[in-house]
Amino acid sequence: MTLFEVEQLSLHYLTRFGEKIHAVTDVSFTMKKGEILGIAGESGCGKSTLVNGLMGLFIPPLYPTDGIVKVAGESLMNRTPEDIRKNVLSRKVSMIPQGAFNALNPTRKIKDIAADVIAAHMKDIDRKAIHTRLRERFDLFGMNTEKVLNSYPIQLTAGERQRSVIGISTLLNPRMVIADEPTSALDVSTQKIVIKMIFNLLEKEIFSTMIFITHELPLLRHVADTIAIMYAGEFVELGTAEQIIFDPRHPYTKALMGAMLSAEAGQKQKKPTAIEGAPPNLAKPITGCRFAERCPVAKPQCHHTKQNMRIIADRQVRCEYAQ
Amino acid sequence: MLKQYPSLRYILQRGVWYLLTFAVAVIINFFLPRLGSHNPVDIIMGKFSAGMSSEAARAKEEAYLKEFGLVKVRNGEILRDAAGKPLKTSNTEQFVNYIKMCFKGDLGTSFQKYPKKVLQVIIEAIPWTIALQLPTILLGWITGNVLGALAAYRRGAFDRVLFPAALFISALPSFVFGMLLLYYFSVVMNWFPAMGGYADAIVPSLSFEFIQSAAYHYLLPFLSIFCILAGGQAIGMRSMGIYELGTDYIKYAKWLGLKESRIIGWLFRNAMLPQLTGLALSLGTMIGGALITEMIFSYPGLGMAILTTIQNNDYPMIQGCTLLITTSVLLANFTVDILIGFLDPRVKAGLRIGKGN
Amino acid sequence: MLNKNSIFAANNCTREFGTGKKIVRAVDNTTFSIESGEIVSIVGGSGCGKSVLAKMMLGLYKPTDGTLLYNNAPVTNTKIHWREVQAVFQDPFSCFNQFFTIRSQLKDAFGILQEKPSHKEIEKRIDNALLAVNIKPHEISGKYPFELSGGQMQRMLLARIFILRPKVLIADEPTSMVDACVRANILDYLMKLKEELKMTIVFVTHDIGLAYYVSDRLFIMHNGRIVEQGTPDEVTLSPRSEHTVRLLEDIPEIHRAWIC
Repeated sequence: MTLFEVEQLSLHYLTRFGEKIHAVTDVSFTMKKGEILGIAGESGCGKSTLVNGLMGLFIPPLYPTDGIVKVAGESLMNRTPEDIRKNVLSRKVSMIPQGAFNALNPTRKIKDIAADVIAAHMKDIDRKAIHTRLRERFDLFGMNTEKVLNSYPIQLTAGERQRSVIGISTLLNPRMVIADEPTSALDVSTQKIVIKMIFNLLEKEIFSTMIFITHELPLLRHVADTIAIMYAGEFVELGTAEQIIFDPRHPYTKALMGAMLSAEAGQKQKKPTAIEGAPPNLAKPITGCRFAERCPVAKPQCHHTKQNMRIIADRQVRCEYAQ
Repeated sequence: MLKQYPSLRYILQRGVWYLLTFAVAVIINFFLPRLGSHNPVDIIMGKFSAGMSSEAARAKEEAYLKEFGLVKVRNGEILRDAAGKPLKTSNTEQFVNYIKMCFKGDLGTSFQKYPKKVLQVIIEAIPWTIALQLPTILLGWITGNVLGALAAYRRGAFDRVLFPAALFISALPSFVFGMLLLYYFSVVMNWFPAMGGYADAIVPSLSFEFIQSAAYHYLLPFLSIFCILAGGQAIGMRSMGIYELGTDYIKYAKWLGLKESRIIGWLFRNAMLPQLTGLALSLGTMIGGALITEMIFSYPGLGMAILTTIQNNDYPMIQGCTLLITTSVLLANFTVDILIGFLDPRVKAGLRIGKGN
Repeated sequence: MLNKNSIFAANNCTREFGTGKKIVRAVDNTTFSIESGEIVSIVGGSGCGKSVLAKMMLGLYKPTDGTLLYNNAPVTNTKIHWREVQAVFQDPFSCFNQFFTIRSQLKDAFGILQEKPSHKEIEKRIDNALLAVNIKPHEISGKYPFELSGGQMQRMLLARIFILRPKVLIADEPTSMVDACVRANILDYLMKLKEELKMTIVFVTHDIGLAYYVSDRLFIMHNGRIVEQGTPDEVTLSPRSEHTVRLLEDIPEIHRAWIC
């Protein structure tokens, strides 16, 4: 059953000087219930803009250019912010932000922030019922429930904060969860604890479908079923996790894999290599392949022929020369 | 011993600092008027002794010296040296006396309104000042902050009108704004009285007539303080609000689909914390701060009293007033220090963790 | 084990915070030495004391017990110390003033030097430093910190190091806020500093994988103690401490099961 459909979604920003920044272009994918999609790319590739679009949350200066987003057959486009707030956010699509420390209101206790979320979406629920619900839910997270709920964000460790944020975002059992770099501010051990917690929530069917955004491809290998590689606002490759990690076909995916670390013994010769150059300026229209400027195997015609997604080796690749 | 009670320790720590500040202020307050070459009695005598016989003048002077504690007294009699001259008290003795009197609540005798006690003069003037300032400051602070928060949240036309207006008003010096109000509303339009706290013909009492007259006289001075304060607060709150709006926790609240009213609530609370300091300062300087407004509108409050005492070199009065102002500023700051410590968990957590180094 | 010519030599070096019952031992009885020209990584999870140790090397904290010597002497005057020991931090935006252009702030860096080079020399050194971190000088001319990306700003911090050419660089988690590509870049620059300027580098990180590539030696820290030290291959191939094993296991490797 298809739960989430995105068809040719394009989004743009208006800068203060009236310039249009085409942050996301022509993104299409579908997700079945229970699927986990990983999205990877450099910072500034449009990942975070895409998140807003996927929630139907178009707060100026962000505007949809084209395309459609559907959750369980219901479109999120052209709806009022209040309608999206009431009927979509937290219930249908919920978001786990990065940097939990800044995402939590510093002057409110965790239980009060969480209670605000329940109160915003459930009518006729009294304080007591809210707090019982909170306790039951936080008991699943493997933390000292009472201590965490009664603390201000500053009194918690980074791991506790991130787990609280995940707990708050999934309080109302959302159909879809979008996690935007939920672990990139954490050390490796805490990262593992947080990922384990997410898996635990999936197992308990608090939610079942997730988009996981990160720049760490090795992490996606363990988290995602399918992976999309994003570059300059476009998906450049979309396939299963195995395909993308072990057999990348797009030159950008290959380059990105080359920049990843590996601490496996005796791998020192495989030093990570950076990709030279910078992504293109998205304020100007680009006719050719967006990666052509930095592509090690670019041909002259790449700079002015538009590249479309095509199927190579069972996955979608946006490069006509990819093998 | 107090390690287990960081809050109490915090209060005590702060309290000790404020006490120290207060002690220094009291010492400065005592010695400043004495730095001049003349003692106050000389100045008064210079004014009043004209036409008196030298005998009468000397008796008068000795009475003054006794009254102000400048000579040694035993059993009501002035102690004299061999030549019959009164024995002067040293500065230290005067200081000890002054502190003793302060503890008894006796701030001395006014020169100008002799033999009225300083405390009495202050008590007569202070209700007018508090009545003028306290409601004005509280209302101005609340109005300014609500408007500023709304301007930050709504932006658009509301902000485009409010922000320049607030900026303009708050930048006006209070005496200019006061005089403009006075000129337009009482001189040109003749809608409001130009001076005084109530009509001359009425004797202050709790009658309807008096209250009506007082309210009528109240409006212009009220407006002159209120507008400037509200404008300044609105600007501060607006920029704090805009800053808070850009923070991740507000974005997260929107992503979670919290109600708009709740998000504004969060915004207001967090942006208000720094504004509290402004409120405390206004309340603390309230006693002395209305000086100019009271002058312009000839309002019978403490500001006017201070003005006349300064003009007349009435040292006991000046000392009394400065002591009062110092105390109220320190008290207000102390309260806000404690309040912010409890309202902002970040400060509270800082107490527990200690200061890093 | 202590070498007379070590850049840093710590002997039972300890740093405590707080007093009484709430005392916290951030750095606990560490003994180590760092030799001239090597890259040493201090690796550990959050709260292991690695940043405190780095700050002690910078002279920002003094040991409460034991000694920490820089060139055989304790750090007394930080101003002089900073002529030779410089740092890059995690968040480059908080290291630069938002209200001044980046170039003028790079120029200010010369203020710490004893003898200021000539105006022309300063401009030349800034240009060269920018080129060393792959930024063309005209790209940042007249720009303010908020106009650059996190990756570019992190490179500005490194440009400052290329300008000042200190003897020692303390790099405190310089890669934890940047994406994988910029991270690879920063590793390259650290190697360049070591090879071209013979700089001694202390690299503080939570990622043992990252430390593995650049370091000559690794110190693994846990609860304020250095639980293991050795060459990268020694530490990763045959870890002796359980904490090292844990750190290695927690990295999501592509060829190995991670969450069971």
